[in-house]
Amino acid sequence: MAIRRDGRTDAFFDGALRGELVVRRCGECGRWYAPDATGCAGCGAQRLEWAAAEGTGTLVSWAAVHGRGGGPASPIGLVELAEGPWLHAALAGVDAPAEGLALRARFTPQEEGEPLLEFVPA
Amino acid sequence: MGAAIAGLGMTELGKVYGRSPRRLAADAVRLAVTDAGLELKDLDGLLVSHGLGGSPGIELAQTLGLRDLRVLSLMHAFGATAGAMVAHAAMLVQSGAADTVACVFADAPLKPEQSSGAAYDRSAREYYGYGGMTASQGFRSVNAYYALAARRHMARYGTTSEQLGAIAVSTRQWATMNPLAQMRDPITIEDHQNSRWVVEPLHLLDCCLVSNGAVAVVVTRADRAADLAQPPVHVLGWGQGHPGHAMERGSGFGLTTGAAVSGPTAMKMAGITVSDVDQCQIYDCYTITTLLTLEDYGFCAKGEGGALAASGALGPGGRLPTNTGGGQLSGYYMWGMTPVSEAVVQARGQGGERQAERNEVVLVSGNGGILDHHSTLILSPTRPGAGARAGR
Repeated sequence: MAIRRDGRTDAFFDGALRGELVVRRCGECGRWYAPDATGCAGCGAQRLEWAAAEGTGTLVSWAAVHGRGGGPASPIGLVELAEGPWLHAALAGVDAPAEGLALRARFTPQEEGEPLLEFVPA
Repeated sequence: MGAAIAGLGMTELGKVYGRSPRRLAADAVRLAVTDAGLELKDLDGLLVSHGLGGSPGIELAQTLGLRDLRVLSLMHAFGATAGAMVAHAAMLVQSGAADTVACVFADAPLKPEQSSGAAYDRSAREYYGYGGMTASQGFRSVNAYYALAARRHMARYGTTSEQLGAIAVSTRQWATMNPLAQMRDPITIEDHQNSRWVVEPLHLLDCCLVSNGAVAVVVTRADRAADLAQPPVHVLGWGQGHPGHAMERGSGFGLTTGAAVSGPTAMKMAGITVSDVDQCQIYDCYTITTLLTLEDYGFCAKGEGGALAASGALGPGGRLPTNTGGGQLSGYYMWGMTPVSEAVVQARGQGGERQAERNEVVLVSGNGGILDHHSTLILSPTRPGAGARAGR
């Protein structure tokens, strides 16, 4: 199970290799978006720029995805970045999840393919 | 001049293989027309909708041999479509643009020897781009997104898994009395708690079924419906709500839905308030959807949906009979046609063993996306102005 680039979100992975959380930002009005956003719902700009976020946020909600075959569940969450947008993201090491829990982005290299973004307690 | 649902047609539902969505849709329309005491040539309008298993297309009209239609269209607002179709059909007949309109939903996502979950799963061996990364980490199906909604409600209001379980249990109680329901064995809260996690905090018994099949209704003028084969089901009000929650700071995702707008619109049109509603047929893709919808309609205060469910109000003998056919959780998953079809049965008084005592005002909901789209219908066996609701 490897992550490959898709040509549309490569800047996110370039940032990940530098340890930076690179997301989307509207060059016109400055509103921040998740990396998979395609246009600005605020001002109508059709193109969003890539911009480095602080990489910190807070927990909005959380869940754990269980596979059919058993094995460990995958913790996931909604993370509100300091800049405002929410990311659907993996969690790691969050033993006591709570609304507003402070988190920071962490990138974990993989044997094959691109690194994975996870949020861990700040 | 009002509009009424005059016919209901349902194919076999569930693990029904070998029929395409178009074939299923055609079968359902024929059944609905026959149920109404009409013939196909009486239709002058056809509205078509579909799930994820392929669309019947407007070519359905050709398949049925319908000629000189005055209205023909696909409609798509995900799970809110069925309510939107019935509302659109009501407006068509009230405006005179059409006289007798069939509304049909068909879907065939299930394949033989494949699990229900696989029909909606996005697992892969390789994943591409940012969206592929999050999919690889668990965001592979709508289950994950609804689980996040449920957890947010739990964290904010103290809603518990057992309270969601109360919805699964009461819905199943109703299903035991519906011969069409796919799941008819009674369950307990313990069964709910012991059912496997799908995406925690959602157990298997918090999640709806997946079904193949088709359901159609025929909408016509209320005066015409009165002369047809079945008791008319009058369409008193309708509404939609699309909150457009931005996924960013301040979002109401998981806390409020389009029902908060759709419900008041429909109830105002029908000239009723929430206290007039006798029973609810709620789009219940998950137990949390039922809970959120009832809160947003105002059957309890925001955050008290869990307590409402745990009180037993929603089950047989309760004060707010809800999903009396077993809903999508235990009955059959025909998207918005699940609640619409049961509402028609109940408003006609044809529920048999599961017929709720009161059916004067039946509220029907539709929900689409991840709580993104909502539709409401208010249905009644009594024609507006006929007086049976006066003095309630």
